[in-house]
Amino acid sequence: MTSASHPGSAFPHGNGAPLSRRGWLSTAAGGLGGMALSSLLAGEAPPAGGTHPALVFPVKAKRVVQLFMAGAASHIDLWDHKPELVKRHGEESDFGEPVEAFQNGLGPWLKPVWDFKAHGGCGKMLSDAVAPLGDVVDRMAFIHNMVSTSGVHSAATLLQSTGFILPGFPGTGCWVGYALGSLNDNLPTFVVLPDHRGYGSNGVKNWDAGFLPAQHSGTVVQPGAAEPIADLHPHASAQWLTTDSDAATRRALARLNRAHLDGRGGDGRLEARIRTYELAARMQLAAPEALSLADEPEHVLRMYGVEPGKTDWPTEINIPEETHHFGLKCLTARRLLERGVRFVQIWSGNDNGFPRRNWDSHEDVERDHGPLARGMAHGAAALIKDLDQRGMLDDTLVIWTTEFGRMPSSQAGRGRDHNPFVFTNWLCGAGIRGGVTHGESDQWGYKPLDRANPTTVHDVHATVLRLLGLEHTKLTWRHNGVDRRLTDVHGHVLTPILS
Amino acid sequence: MVLLLSVRCRFVVVVGLLLPLQPSMAADGDRHAPARALLVARCVECHGADAQEGGLRLDSRGSVLRGGEYGPVATAGSGTEGELLDRIRTADADERMPPTGAPLTADEIASISAWLADGLPWPGAEGDADRDPRLDHWAWQPIRHPDPPAPVVAFHTLPGVEPDRNPIDAFVRATLAKEGMRPTAVADRRTLIRRLSFDLLGLPPTPEEIDAFVADVDPAAYENLVERMLASPRYGERWARHWLDVVHYGDTHGYDKDKQRPNAWPYRDWVIGAFNADLPWARFVADQIAGDVLRPDDSGAIEATGMLAAGPWDFIGHVEVPETKTDGKIARHLDRDDMVANTIGTFASVTIQCAQCHAHKFDPVSQEDYYSLQAVFAALDRSERTYSPDPAVMQAHAALDARRTDLEGLKKSLEARRAEAAGPRLAEIDKTLAAPGGDNATPAFGWHSEIVAASNLTAADTEKWVQVDLGRDVAITRVVLHPCHDDFNGIGAGFGFPRRFRIEGSSDPTFATNVVRLADSGPDDLPNPGTVPQVFTVDRASGGSRYVRVTATRLAPRQNDFIAAIAELDLFDADGTNVARGAAVSSIDSIEAPPRWQRANLVDGEFPGPSADAIALRRERDELLAKVPAEVTDGLRTLEEELAGLARQREALPALRPLYTVTATQRGGIPRPIHVLARGNVSAPGREVGPGALSALTMLAPRFELPPDAPEGARRQALAEWLVAPDNPLTWRSAVNRAWLHHFGRGIVDTPSDFGRMGSPPSHAALLDWLAAEFRDGGGSLKSLHRLIVGSATWRQRADDDSSSAAIDSGNARLWRQNRRRLEAEAIRDAVLATAGTLDPTAGGPGWQDFRIEHPEHSPHYRYDLADPADRSTWRRSIYRFIVRSQTQPFMTSLDCADPSMRVEKRNESLSAIQALALLNNGFMTTQAVEFAARVAREAGDEPRAQVDRAFRIAFGRAPTDEERGVLLELLRSHGLSAVCRTLVNLNEFTFID
Repeated sequence: MTSASHPGSAFPHGNGAPLSRRGWLSTAAGGLGGMALSSLLAGEAPPAGGTHPALVFPVKAKRVVQLFMAGAASHIDLWDHKPELVKRHGEESDFGEPVEAFQNGLGPWLKPVWDFKAHGGCGKMLSDAVAPLGDVVDRMAFIHNMVSTSGVHSAATLLQSTGFILPGFPGTGCWVGYALGSLNDNLPTFVVLPDHRGYGSNGVKNWDAGFLPAQHSGTVVQPGAAEPIADLHPHASAQWLTTDSDAATRRALARLNRAHLDGRGGDGRLEARIRTYELAARMQLAAPEALSLADEPEHVLRMYGVEPGKTDWPTEINIPEETHHFGLKCLTARRLLERGVRFVQIWSGNDNGFPRRNWDSHEDVERDHGPLARGMAHGAAALIKDLDQRGMLDDTLVIWTTEFGRMPSSQAGRGRDHNPFVFTNWLCGAGIRGGVTHGESDQWGYKPLDRANPTTVHDVHATVLRLLGLEHTKLTWRHNGVDRRLTDVHGHVLTPILS
Repeated sequence: MVLLLSVRCRFVVVVGLLLPLQPSMAADGDRHAPARALLVARCVECHGADAQEGGLRLDSRGSVLRGGEYGPVATAGSGTEGELLDRIRTADADERMPPTGAPLTADEIASISAWLADGLPWPGAEGDADRDPRLDHWAWQPIRHPDPPAPVVAFHTLPGVEPDRNPIDAFVRATLAKEGMRPTAVADRRTLIRRLSFDLLGLPPTPEEIDAFVADVDPAAYENLVERMLASPRYGERWARHWLDVVHYGDTHGYDKDKQRPNAWPYRDWVIGAFNADLPWARFVADQIAGDVLRPDDSGAIEATGMLAAGPWDFIGHVEVPETKTDGKIARHLDRDDMVANTIGTFASVTIQCAQCHAHKFDPVSQEDYYSLQAVFAALDRSERTYSPDPAVMQAHAALDARRTDLEGLKKSLEARRAEAAGPRLAEIDKTLAAPGGDNATPAFGWHSEIVAASNLTAADTEKWVQVDLGRDVAITRVVLHPCHDDFNGIGAGFGFPRRFRIEGSSDPTFATNVVRLADSGPDDLPNPGTVPQVFTVDRASGGSRYVRVTATRLAPRQNDFIAAIAELDLFDADGTNVARGAAVSSIDSIEAPPRWQRANLVDGEFPGPSADAIALRRERDELLAKVPAEVTDGLRTLEEELAGLARQREALPALRPLYTVTATQRGGIPRPIHVLARGNVSAPGREVGPGALSALTMLAPRFELPPDAPEGARRQALAEWLVAPDNPLTWRSAVNRAWLHHFGRGIVDTPSDFGRMGSPPSHAALLDWLAAEFRDGGGSLKSLHRLIVGSATWRQRADDDSSSAAIDSGNARLWRQNRRRLEAEAIRDAVLATAGTLDPTAGGPGWQDFRIEHPEHSPHYRYDLADPADRSTWRRSIYRFIVRSQTQPFMTSLDCADPSMRVEKRNESLSAIQALALLNNGFMTTQAVEFAARVAREAGDEPRAQVDRAFRIAFGRAPTDEERGVLLELLRSHGLSAVCRTLVNLNEFTFID
């Protein structure tokens, strides 16, 4: 260990430090087989076998899948049953106070587009648009009193993904990877499966590492694309490269880099870099296998609603296409989780644009939410059931979120304006008490019923970290003078939804 | 200094008034011990050293008297009044303090009241009651100019170790000697030139430059080399990048709707030029904050202000949400926060942003300090302005503008006289006439087809139809099409009106049969009709039709696509009734974005254009004007002519250039009122504050005492002067520390943007002060600082290990050797281009783009994967890359390139499989490997051994060893020279510089 460090500090902070200071948290850490990088970089490895000091609780969840609905999915039309709204449908809306709506969309009360029915042993009322999730509702915990601090897509999306309304903060998966390292030795720790139409608001800022080292960024995987992972194979223009020449290059690199080490052996970064090339080679083999659906039986494909190879979809947004794309991401997520990927983020919906390609249904909830919700519910239900039948749901946490909710009043007749004042999240799987609802919205789904005690994204993040065994106030990184946390200076663990 | 004295006087007055009233303070101490103990037990957890809720501390007499964000909470001698007592006595549980636990008892409250009545005696702290111990921190102290310590002569006899070359070595080696370490031998010349070249230029030296330096017998060979490099324009390109990291420069806004900033680059070029010209640091700093104020005729000073606008900006929060809404207020608050943090974090290395929600937890920075800094920027918004590199042109424009302002003033007074003579009706008429034609009276614009991308030559001829169902056959006599008005894309009147179209009737809703042509637009393209209605008389022989369809046969062009849009369709029957109004509308497609665009808007009776009785109004207007004296009317006419002449002169001048920066014009130069915000909440404004800076620097006045009517620029000028004052210890230490970081891979203070208590302490405090003083007193020349640093024996040491020193200081904080450096993303990429022989040295101008844009009309998708790596326009230095915030460049990002959304004081240095894959497989790398091989073949001929040797020398400036040569020859024989070249640029030796 030769590089800059504060002597005696097992967990030095500050950005920009050479890798050697914190080799234990490298992508490669603990997963290299044989000599782990953490022991390679001996002397500065943390105590207790390479665990972060925030790891103080029993580990309930080993893996996380986050489902993110870009554009703001309507809690009222999907999860949060409001009989009063059905009763008062079409009447002039009256919130009892002045309301500052994003586009002043404060038309008459608008009942949910779909009927709600009771599901499961718990009898949870769910919209017909998400009915497939009824089969697993007894494993899900709902939070109907989520609030955001912004009604602007970009800021509110960042808040959900990073805990801050400004860009530049690490995504949730980055923090998890930083704290816990990898569970595998040939795939990324944090994988992002974007909507097939493109990225949501803020693009990569929702999952890049911010001030954490770049290795903690989410790796974008595009299932079904010609090159699902950027640079996994030589660029298409490099026809001169073959598998053989790649292998020969790797051998030459290893030999020459070893020779270069002579006299520089004290610099652990050089050894670590040699190992990243070995890891890259393993990833080249492992990733295509992980992403191939060739060995998935027909009934599994059907369960997820995946139609491999189909490309001739209608031009208008439709249920089978949404089901296929979301199901493909869910099935891919399951395969990645099985192979030791720790955090998978699945997106539904692109950024804003016309025609609508996300959940931002200002004009027509039924038109956009219909196909998006049915596709999402089909895939999510399949994923939960599949994880369950493989025994993985016990230590895999599934969380569903969106940037904010939508108003109980109508906009332009059939649409709904933004509602940052209340919306819904749900969690499912590892360590979650199923079939419960924590926190309610008011009779309209306009604000939390108990306005003094809403649930914030920081509470959800604190809860996710707790299930991973982490104390959220101790998971920090010094940046520009502040010990930054995923939960900023907030966050309370939602103990009522823990099993 | 006047203010400083007055502050001190106030302090003296307070103490002086109180002390005589409290003759027995010490003696009374014990009596009030329970009251003080109560404060400690119940209050200081939130109002003490660790937390200062509401900016209030209650752990010393001085802090109680000083109060919090909302002013004093107690007054000495008053035992019954004040916020402190009010809050512990109130019956309102939401208001009552302490907020948790049992309320204070009546006895407890009485004891505090008695203590206040007696003047808050606090034994043992009378003399220094107001002293904040945090002010003793090193960073707030004045810069000393210490004498260098005596050389450690014993080190001079160590093998290979150079004698001290300048005072830096004396400081560094004194510490090494004290801590039992020793310096390392000087590096060889090949290592030195390679290190120096990457350090100063960010590029490798050529094999020929290396040979020349190694063979140079001139005793000043090294100094000459340093001078040559400092004189190279490549130097500014290297060092400007370090600076752009800190100020988080980017070429797009970021967030959602990540629009381009096509005119941000002049700031980037100014930074490069400033480094190359070795602009004195005081000017470098001041120009970036207030160059437009300090030297309004200097185009460079104007470009410099691009720094204030360099960071991200939320288009939606500023453009689509008004400032009156909470989300709009938050967006503008965060915008000022970015300017404050960018300025103070960058130039003064203080984490000022921590004081946004509460007093700084660790440093003596109050919320008032923070909001005083927001007040400095309160008149500003990010936007484009114009300027010229030619001062004469700028002056000519300014003179014309001044004349125009004068004339418009005159015009206004004449118009007032005209209004007086004509009466108030004139204004009403003018308003009525101006309104409907200018924009849409209602937000219901009309029908808007889907957008047709300009993907091929016939895209404009895509047919788009819209039709109405009249419910019955109607004989149409007249058709009127009303064009739209939408400022989107700057189009305005006539938005989307088709260039060619036909109007047909039919009894068949599909228009497959029984189609009758009612009218068409003729054989040629129509010009944009503005908002003038297009009227068509229909031949009676057409008969009756239930369905009437308008088919656009040539669409209206926009920048990269085509559309059709129509505000209103009127169909008049023989009785002159508009039968289309309210009819069912269908169309081939529609963007359906209500309320503005939807099919139903086609027949809603709402459209832009002059009202029906405009003609009558004009007649009435003429009658009114007849009452106006001729001299007024003539004067106005003369003025109009002169104004038109000015406009013509302006057009004849060389055009001004646009620059993305900050301007005060949106608010007419009037600063927004800035309030201290409780917890940073825009809905909880406290008291208003004026412009100022940090009160922790006691040698400078913390608030700028400007007259109330001072122009907004005076605020920025005052901040610039505060920053560059010779007495300001932060600015000069910050600058030399940032330079030191890039010479050693670590600053003397390892947290270059945080000199506060939570930052790292200086590893060489005396050296930092000596460097800062030399730098400041030497005119702020960065190049002189470079000469000093790279001229030191400390910098010239080898990067080798020494186990005995490593055992004491494994992190090399004390610099017993040089640090081996991993190249940054830009240096790696530039070195690859230089090695391949393909580096295009073209400097300056708009950034090169290695992406393609999809969906530009809303939130642009920046697609790097669609770029062609063989596009030579992208083979320029990385500093000229067009920097996108929402989609950071994946190859560069994998190499820890600075995130343009964050202020980056120091690059991360990660190693990952994704990085290895990028360096092996990215199109840039594979393309350059082939180019590199072609260069080697050109320079070395066909012989494999010569090729390997040449490639190796280009890449590393040395000959390969026999083993290295053997490995590469084997690779060459089996897989070719390109495979060898690809291998070389992937080696550790390529990215790690000794």
